[in-house]
Amino acid sequence: MRKFLRRFVSDYKEYFLLIILSIISLSILAQNEKPAAKHLKSIALGNFALLNEITNSFVSIFKSDESRDDLRNENAHLMLELNRLQKYRAENEELRSMIAFKDTSMYPLIPAKIISKLITKTQGNYIVNKGFNYEIRKGMPVINDKGLIGLIMDVTENYSVVQNLYNSNLSIAVTIQRTNVDGILNYDGNNLIIKDIPTTYDVQIGDVIETSDFSSLFPPSIPVGKVLKKESNVLGLLHTVTVMPFADISAANNLFIIKIIPSKQINQLEMNLIK
Amino acid sequence: MKIQYIKPILFFIPLAVIQLVIVPLISISNIAPNLVFVLIAYFTLRRGQIYGTILGFILGFLLDIISGGLIGAYMFSFTISAFIVGYFYGENKIDINLSTYFLLFILFICGSINSFLFAVVSSSNSNLSLFFMMLEEGILPGFYTALFGLPIVIFHPKEGI
Repeated sequence: MRKFLRRFVSDYKEYFLLIILSIISLSILAQNEKPAAKHLKSIALGNFALLNEITNSFVSIFKSDESRDDLRNENAHLMLELNRLQKYRAENEELRSMIAFKDTSMYPLIPAKIISKLITKTQGNYIVNKGFNYEIRKGMPVINDKGLIGLIMDVTENYSVVQNLYNSNLSIAVTIQRTNVDGILNYDGNNLIIKDIPTTYDVQIGDVIETSDFSSLFPPSIPVGKVLKKESNVLGLLHTVTVMPFADISAANNLFIIKIIPSKQINQLEMNLIK
Repeated sequence: MKIQYIKPILFFIPLAVIQLVIVPLISISNIAPNLVFVLIAYFTLRRGQIYGTILGFILGFLLDIISGGLIGAYMFSFTISAFIVGYFYGENKIDINLSTYFLLFILFICGSINSFLFAVVSSSNSNLSLFFMMLEEGILPGFYTALFGLPIVIFHPKEGI
C-alpha cells in the first residue's frame, strides 16, 4: 500500500505540487487583512518602493514636471473652491447654512508623486512617495488638480498605496450636483458607472458628479466627473449612468492627499465594506 | 532556496521595477503586458514544469508584496499559468520553443490565462461579465505580453534548428 502511494505521488507529483501551491496562494489571498500580511507588505513595499522611486526620478527627467508642482497645488485648491462656489450658486444659501455644509477647501493638501502603478483592468493601484512620516493615514482621499483620484489604502513609513477610481473594489457615494440625486459609483472594468437610478429622476448628459454628503470616506463636493451617457434597463424603470472622470486616472503623476481624518468608527465600517 | 532559483530572482528585480514604473507608460486603456510572466515562461521552458510552477509561486509572491496589490493574486495566477507553460516543455524542444515564433503562441495562450486568473481572484466586482474578463482581462493583455517575447525569439541563439 505504501509502495503504491509512493508511486502514485511520484507519478503525479506535478499535480500535487500545483494543488498545494494553489491552496497556499488562495489561503494567503484570504488572509490579506491580517496584521502579519500587512506588516510583510509594508516592509517589502517600503524597501522596493525606493528602487521604484529612483527609477521614476530617472524617467521623470524626460517629463520635467517638478517645476509645476506649486501651480498644480494652487490649481487643486482652486478646483475645490470653484466647485464649492458652483454648489453655492445652485442651492439656496440660507438652506445651506442650516445644513452646515462641510467645506472641503479648508483641509490641507499634501502633495505626492506617483512612483509606481499596478496596471490591470480592474485593480487600479498607485504607490506614492508620501507615507506615515508625512501624517498620511489609511482612508485619506486623494485628488489631483482636476478631481477625485482615489483613497489611501495602505501606509508605510515613506510610501502609501492608493486605490484609484479604476479599481472595481472601490465604491463611492456620489451625488449629481445639479439635482442632488445620490448613487453609488463603481468601476465595472470599462467605465465608471452609477447603477439603479430611477428614470423619473432628472439626470442629464454633462451633469457634474461629486462626492456625496452621505459619504464618510470622502468629504462632500469633491468633483468626480460628469455624466457621459445614461442607459435604461429592460423595463425602463432604472438608469445606469456612465461617468467620465475629470481626472485622467491612467496618466496621473502628481497627486494631493487631503489631510482629513474621518470619524474612526464610521471609517472603520466603510473600510471594511471595500476590503 | 536552491541556487537555480537565484538567477531568475536576480532578473526579476529589474523586471519588476520596469513592470511597475515603465510599463504603465506603455499601457493602452489599462491593458498592459506582464514582463514578469515572460521571465517565468522563459525559465519554465528551459527547466521544466515543476521548476516553473515553483518559480511562478515565488515570483508571484514577490510581485504581490512589492506592487501594493493583494498578496496571493499573482502567486495564484503565476503558479497555474507556469504549470500550463510547463506542458510545452521538452528536453529536446528547448531551442525550438525559445527560438521560434512558437514562443509567442505559448506566451499568448498562457499569458491570457494568467491575466484572466489574476482578474478573477483579485476583483470583487460581481458585475463583470465572463466575456468581458476573458477578452479584456485575458486575451488582450495576453497578446500584449506575447509581443514582449519577440526579443527572446530574435536574440536566443538558434543552435541545432
